[in-house]
Amino acid sequence: MLQFPPWKICLILGIMLWGTLMALPNVVNMSGAPTGIPKQGVNLGLDLQGGVYLMMEINPDEVVANRLEVFAIDVRNALGNKDGKPLIGHLSTVEGRTLNVELTRPDADGNFPMDEALTRIRKLNGSVEGAIGGAKTYEIESAGPALIKVSVPSTSEETLMKDALGKTMTIVRRRVDPEGVSEISITPQGNNRIILEAPGEPDATRLKNLLSRDGKMTFNLVENSPSAIAAAEKGVVKPGYRLLSGPQTGQLLVRNIPEVTGADIATASQGYDDGNRPQINFRLNGNGASKFYQTTRNNSGKLFAIVLDDTIMSAPRINEPIPGGSVRITGDFTLEEAQDLAAIIEAGEMPAKVQFLDQRTVSATLGQDSIRAGVRASLIGLSLVAIFMILAYGLMGIFAVGSLAANIILIIGALSGLGATLTLPGIAGIILTIGMAVDANVLVFERIREEQRAGRSPLTAVQAGYERALSTILDANITTFIAAAILYLLGSGPVKGFAVTLAIGIVTSVFTAFVLTRWFTVMWLKGVKPKKFAL
Amino acid sequence: MLLRYWPESTNLKFMNLRMGGALLSVIMITASIFFLGTRGLNLGVDFAGGTVMELQQTETVTVETVRAALPFNAEVNTAVGTDARPIVVAKFGAADPAELGEEFAHLAPAAQAERAQQMTNDIVARTLKEKLGLTDEDFLRDDSVGPKVSGELFRSGILALVVALALMLAYIWFRFEWQFSVGAVAALAHDVIITLGVFSLLQLEFNLTTIAALLTIIGYSMNDTVVVFDRVREERRKYKKMPDRQVIDQSLNSTLSRTLLTSGTTLLALFAIFFLGGPVLRGMSFALIWGIFIGTYSSIFIASAIVLSLGMDLNKKPAEEVTGFQGIR
Repeated sequence: MLQFPPWKICLILGIMLWGTLMALPNVVNMSGAPTGIPKQGVNLGLDLQGGVYLMMEINPDEVVANRLEVFAIDVRNALGNKDGKPLIGHLSTVEGRTLNVELTRPDADGNFPMDEALTRIRKLNGSVEGAIGGAKTYEIESAGPALIKVSVPSTSEETLMKDALGKTMTIVRRRVDPEGVSEISITPQGNNRIILEAPGEPDATRLKNLLSRDGKMTFNLVENSPSAIAAAEKGVVKPGYRLLSGPQTGQLLVRNIPEVTGADIATASQGYDDGNRPQINFRLNGNGASKFYQTTRNNSGKLFAIVLDDTIMSAPRINEPIPGGSVRITGDFTLEEAQDLAAIIEAGEMPAKVQFLDQRTVSATLGQDSIRAGVRASLIGLSLVAIFMILAYGLMGIFAVGSLAANIILIIGALSGLGATLTLPGIAGIILTIGMAVDANVLVFERIREEQRAGRSPLTAVQAGYERALSTILDANITTFIAAAILYLLGSGPVKGFAVTLAIGIVTSVFTAFVLTRWFTVMWLKGVKPKKFAL
Repeated sequence: MLLRYWPESTNLKFMNLRMGGALLSVIMITASIFFLGTRGLNLGVDFAGGTVMELQQTETVTVETVRAALPFNAEVNTAVGTDARPIVVAKFGAADPAELGEEFAHLAPAAQAERAQQMTNDIVARTLKEKLGLTDEDFLRDDSVGPKVSGELFRSGILALVVALALMLAYIWFRFEWQFSVGAVAALAHDVIITLGVFSLLQLEFNLTTIAALLTIIGYSMNDTVVVFDRVREERRKYKKMPDRQVIDQSLNSTLSRTLLTSGTTLLALFAIFFLGGPVLRGMSFALIWGIFIGTYSSIFIASAIVLSLGMDLNKKPAEEVTGFQGIR
């Protein structure tokens, strides 16, 4: 207990040096330091830095339904008149998590071509990526003489969700951070959630607006015959068309099947028109550009609508064929709106709408106030504890305060070194540790006092005190550590931050109280050799 | 010379008071359960769902103007901000579906539950900005938790408490004897119930940070109990002929000065947070301060008293059990 061979002293000094180096960037600007020396201080949580936290979810029902809508198009192609095979008349509807394909044309005997239809649809059914045993993406079965039901089995749904979550994360990233420069963090949680954390002073409303749109972009032809419009206004919409509206265009009769879709767009960006007003420019890919050229060549004089999420953004007249695939949307946009719309269009369509489940915003001013209050409380708490310890234990109290200071340095160093996040409850955790860290010292000192009262010499009293207190100190700290570990595993956000500082604090305070204070004491005992030990 | 805050050796007969302690605890637990049953807990948005908005109080932004501007029913109060200036706090749940308009009515029923709160927030934020001329920067804090997540957070919070208690039970069982384990966990449950009772009585906000505080109280109370138990086990082995009651009293007395010193320093630190740490930490530090008192009390009057009633079995675990830790030196 009282032996400190050189290797042990080196280890202690090494740990202290590491802690100090790690903690230093929090106090001093280390940007000029040589490589290899840490320059980054502790990460501050959003509650201290200010910022926006958003928890989003994509609904599995919706992902499945959207997937089935896409499959319905494939089914339409497969049942069509193709490769010399006859057309099979049918009607597809997506209802909840199933796609119903109803055959509509019986033959002369009143029988439906069920077998042929099943064969053609089953050909479309691929295997789930990475699945063992070749599990299929869809479950396709006949449910009556004229009805085929298509659904998504759970194994394939898992892959579908993983896929959708990955895609959504990419789109979220591209929408909120098109330049890829901001410090916004986007992380998945579970199989259908995404957590977005944007530090600083971002605009929460703008973020949510950016993310709550589907981003479904289409170019549709507009029907402008006066009779069709008049009929539609009376409620008789021309088949294959629907009424959509937009802030600048009013109501228009728009063809359902788009000419060009979001998938044909290569890039989108914000630019300016001749009058220096913000506009959105985009460029179609090769396929899109040729489709667009065809459309504009065949429909001269008509309007075409640029539709985003069922709202008409703009509906220019086609005057001449447009080659090259450069399109722009002009209108009454603010700069910010134009930038956001460009980001949404470029990022593409979400696999499913995101739902906001949990949203927290803290202003940067409140964060700074919290840091100031936390630091002040720590300093005052620390000084009160220091005074108390010195009054109670004299010189040994000074040793304890010395290791308490080392403890704080180690906690901050460990937080910085581990890349942990410091939250406001985390600061409370540090302060609590300050109070509780002295416990190990107190346990030892009380033991030493008792041993001295029992008539032992200073050296043997110290030896016995440390030996006897060890199991108590470990028991007491392991139980608290269990509580901290559970908090970390089950807690979220700021609570996790608290658990981390508490856990780190337990480890460092056992080290400083049991090793550092003991070393101080032993050095003093061996150097001064007191007859009586004032404690 | 050194401060002598406590006589060197005391000989207080704690265990004579154990029936009084038991009675007091029974009264406190009954009252806590009564309050929890009648008043319930004042659940914060973390657990109840809903939105909290905090605004800096100014000439134009006061409880009255905010209340008048809000289109829906909301709880509007003032509070003291971090820098001691007053702030206005508005708390509200999702508005009535009828007030959310067309767009809401067209949503799928599954989406409505989550969207309702979101749409309410948007309307509130927009109205406040329009009527009081606020900008985004004026909102100091804006927390909104939907019904799904609040339910999950509540369940995981309760789960954390239960798992913590179970693990402590297991650890003490492993390190001591079952009587100690029962005593320790009874003391912890006692602390948790009474702390919940105080939160119910005073209607303090119960949120995620409070769960963190409760777990810390469990940790602290356990810490205290373990220190006493360690000493009881040691003295029990040293004085084989001494009656249990005397062994426990003697152990409590010899650990008393440590107990007081540690709770003293911890309380000093906690009072610093309570008074200087700002409003966000006030609820948490209050819970912890209360927990220090109740934890110290329970390790004497609940944990130790239960061990005394259950009796100790001397021959089960040998003293050498500690050797497992010797290598750490």
